[in-house]
Amino acid sequence: MKKDLLVLAFIILLIAIVASGTKIQSVDEYYLTHIDEIAEDSETVTISIRCDTILDNLDKLSPQLRAEKYVPKDGVILEETEYVLRPGDTVFDILDRAVRHNRIHMEFQGADKNSYNSVYIQGINFLYEFSCGPLSGWMYSVNGKFPDYGVSKYVLKDGDVIEFNYTCDLGRDLGYEFK
Amino acid sequence: MKSFSSFHPTILFLYYLSVIFISMFTMNPVLLGCSLIGSILFFSMMNSPKVVLKNIGYYLLVFILIAITNPIFSHNGETILFFLNDNPVTLEAIIYGVVIATMLVAVIFWSKSYSEIMTSDKFVYLFGRTIPKLSLVLSMALRFIPMLKLQIKKVNQVQKTLGLYTTDSITDRIFSGIRVLNSVLTWSLENAINRADSMRARGYGLKRRTNFSLFKFYKRDGILLIAIILILVTAILGFVFNIFDFYYYPAISSLEITGVGILEYIFVFILMIIPFIIEVKENIQWKLLRSKI
Amino acid sequence: MEIIKVKNLDFTYPEQKTKALKDVSFSIEPGEFIVICGESGSGKTTLLKLLKRELAPHGNKTGRIFYKGTELEELDDRTAASEIGYVMQNPENQIVTDKVWHELAFGLENMGVPTPVIRRRVGEMANFFGIHQWFRKKTTELSGGQKQLLNLASIMAMQPELLILDEPTSQLDPIAASDFITTLQKLNRDLGLTIILVEHRLEEVIPIADKVMIMENGSMILYDKPEYVGQKLKEIDKNHKMLLALPSAVRIFNGLDSEGKSPLTVRDGREFLSNNYRNHINVLERPLKEDENRDENILELKNIWFRYERDLPDILTGVNFQAKKGEIISILGGNGSGKTTLLSVMAGQHRPYRGKISIRGKRIREYKGKDLYRHNIALLPQDPQTVFLKSSVWEDYKEIGKVMGYTKEEIKNNTEKIAEMLSIQNLLDKHPYDLSGGEQQKVALGKILLLKPKILLLDEPTKGIDAFSKSVLHDILINLKRQGVTIIMVTHDVEFAAIVSDSCGLFFDGEIISMGTPVDFFSDNNFYTTAANRISRHMYNNAITCEDVIEICKLNGVKENYAK
Repeated sequence: MKKDLLVLAFIILLIAIVASGTKIQSVDEYYLTHIDEIAEDSETVTISIRCDTILDNLDKLSPQLRAEKYVPKDGVILEETEYVLRPGDTVFDILDRAVRHNRIHMEFQGADKNSYNSVYIQGINFLYEFSCGPLSGWMYSVNGKFPDYGVSKYVLKDGDVIEFNYTCDLGRDLGYEFK
Repeated sequence: MKSFSSFHPTILFLYYLSVIFISMFTMNPVLLGCSLIGSILFFSMMNSPKVVLKNIGYYLLVFILIAITNPIFSHNGETILFFLNDNPVTLEAIIYGVVIATMLVAVIFWSKSYSEIMTSDKFVYLFGRTIPKLSLVLSMALRFIPMLKLQIKKVNQVQKTLGLYTTDSITDRIFSGIRVLNSVLTWSLENAINRADSMRARGYGLKRRTNFSLFKFYKRDGILLIAIILILVTAILGFVFNIFDFYYYPAISSLEITGVGILEYIFVFILMIIPFIIEVKENIQWKLLRSKI
Repeated sequence: MEIIKVKNLDFTYPEQKTKALKDVSFSIEPGEFIVICGESGSGKTTLLKLLKRELAPHGNKTGRIFYKGTELEELDDRTAASEIGYVMQNPENQIVTDKVWHELAFGLENMGVPTPVIRRRVGEMANFFGIHQWFRKKTTELSGGQKQLLNLASIMAMQPELLILDEPTSQLDPIAASDFITTLQKLNRDLGLTIILVEHRLEEVIPIADKVMIMENGSMILYDKPEYVGQKLKEIDKNHKMLLALPSAVRIFNGLDSEGKSPLTVRDGREFLSNNYRNHINVLERPLKEDENRDENILELKNIWFRYERDLPDILTGVNFQAKKGEIISILGGNGSGKTTLLSVMAGQHRPYRGKISIRGKRIREYKGKDLYRHNIALLPQDPQTVFLKSSVWEDYKEIGKVMGYTKEEIKNNTEKIAEMLSIQNLLDKHPYDLSGGEQQKVALGKILLLKPKILLLDEPTKGIDAFSKSVLHDILINLKRQGVTIIMVTHDVEFAAIVSDSCGLFFDGEIISMGTPVDFFSDNNFYTTAANRISRHMYNNAITCEDVIEICKLNGVKENYAK
């Protein structure tokens, strides 16, 4: 009886893995992304990833993350970089391309796994939500404005400036106010 | 036979409380390893090799299941082995899974030996101390439940020979179940009246009731108590001064080997194998005694 | 000074017109062993409960009860609880806690005795009663005899001066019952404990009693030394019901119209016979049974093997057994020998792993669903309470009607017929649990007879019922036999088996050995036989019942030097 349950658990796990697709890639394969050359007539956007706020709240940061490779001294994880905008690209597409291109760690929750119907960014460069106090996590802004919907729903246009910022206080330390 | 179980219930309870507490509130691989070793060693002293092997085999599967489940859901960690569906499978996540599995299996083995050692009368004694009425109620309940079960079985059988509810249909069975339960409840009320009489006849309800128990506090209980408290205090100090801190994400932290640290680990290890040592000591003593005879 | 003195005690239960006790007066000296007997409903239990203040029923009481010169109501709470001990009938439902040692300590805990003292007293009691081997066991794991012994011991731990027991052995098998009574005798003799005992099983208790009290309809009709009880009872009424309940030695003595001190034990009885009666005729001529029963076997077991689980030992090892129409067969045997299992296999509750059972020529397996129990075979279990599910006897009976597929009219007619046969008409509207042991037995039998069985299986039918109820049961069984019902019972009750059966068998070591007519069966047995046979076997060969002994004695006549 007990054994049967265990076998059942194994089978369910296996089915779950198979059902979710099994695309296995090596590390190099994964990071091998094609970046379009910037031509004169191509539409572009810029993206930057920063964690300046942590520098002011180092006491709240989980001890294992107190190293320069996770929190750079100047707070810049990815400096402002320009990428070609493909038609229909969302903020998430650009972010995904940028982190792969630069081999920066990123973990996200798929759009099908939460109630927002949008991808949710859990952590970048090993800095996760709640890594620096209970109100911490990643936020994004486009052209200085904080959209109130998810990264994979925001379709970009030429010349947009994307910023990913780590907040330690629900965005208040980034100048964002809840409405 | 089981010499650890002959210690005073309070000591046993305190022991299990501290061992399970330490196992549940740390992720330190050394502590958890000690806990797993201690729990399995003691469990194998209490049971026949056949049972032990069966259990170990079963929990090895559980262990593997938990260990491989974690990396599927957790993608944190610096050392990426490969990507599964665009998500990294990392060495850190696998090791974290292994450590969680260690903790779970250790706690399961502790609980198994706990339920063998803390029999109902010890339990009743422990909680009867704090709430005297409760101990009597528990004791009565422990007597009453098997009685009720037996009666249900008896009535069921008799009703069958009366030709009632002999068909196998589910509705029939449910109805017969309800009726039997109903009659057994009447029977138990009837019983309860008798029991109340028997209690009153023996002076229940007089003031100043005492609580009797067979358990005595011997010197060896005191020694064990002091040992447990000392180790527990040092362990708690270890937690307070972050000696046992250990991280798996984003990179596995290295074990800091300091003099104090090693001492702390040795203490906890001793705590974890106390029951095993006591059993082994007893076995050796018996062998020696027998060879002298 | 007397330990108990009762003066003009009258008692009426609330909303009852008749008195439960009428003008009862007696006194008991310290150290006396008093046996109280009487039919059920004669007020014995009421009297006992009035003597134990904590259990005294509500109702209208007049008259006075003194304990050691103090009126019972004025006793200090602790004295009343500890000095008067009370043991009830059912061993099961007096036990309060889950462990033997806790049960022993329970009374002392209530009295607020400190732990070290409890430890000593509990140890003392465990030793005296031989409980130390199962001291740490769970109370649910004990046998009936052990349970009752535990009840006694846990009361003795409180060091009572007076012990009151209400039919303590009625739920026990004979061996456990004798052990229990021996223990009581030891308590009385070695500790000087005063004992008041209500009992049906008078064969063993009357010889050790100092005085015997007989109750009838709430009055005390007799209170005398056991040697004179038989004679005095006969003076009151020549056919008094209680005469049947007396020990065999007394009944033989009475039956021979002797006078003086009556013998009480088997030993005294033997001496009485050899001193006073001649034995030139030593075989009682019996009319030969009407021609051999030539019907085919209605129930047949061939080489039956059974065990409860694969790893457990065999309980039935090759049982062979046949029963013919209209026979009454008793299967005797020790406790735990598997008699009850044998019955449940016959009733189809358990399936043997080897062998063949046929009922009316058809294999038991071929009966489907209810068919086996309709008009075929029925089992009366040991505990009649398990038969009832409803809140009145009548409703329980109706349910059987449904099984049999009767119409409402038929149910009514059948119930009336059976109620008349068992004379239980006045019990039909009552709740089954409100009836006395004997009544429950009859009513349960009634429910089973509604199934119109051809074969009736009885498991210990005489357990816990008094001598009069036994004789009623005897008549019922004979009546059923005349209607062609085959009756198979397992019992410990040698005396009952001797008078009612056509044949008896001994169940031992998984099989039935030595089947025979009661006369052959019992006169061949040395130990496992009736008291009357044991009293007379040194002089006469085949006297089984008291009536047999009386008859053969009368035939032989008295010796010359017979002192009347």
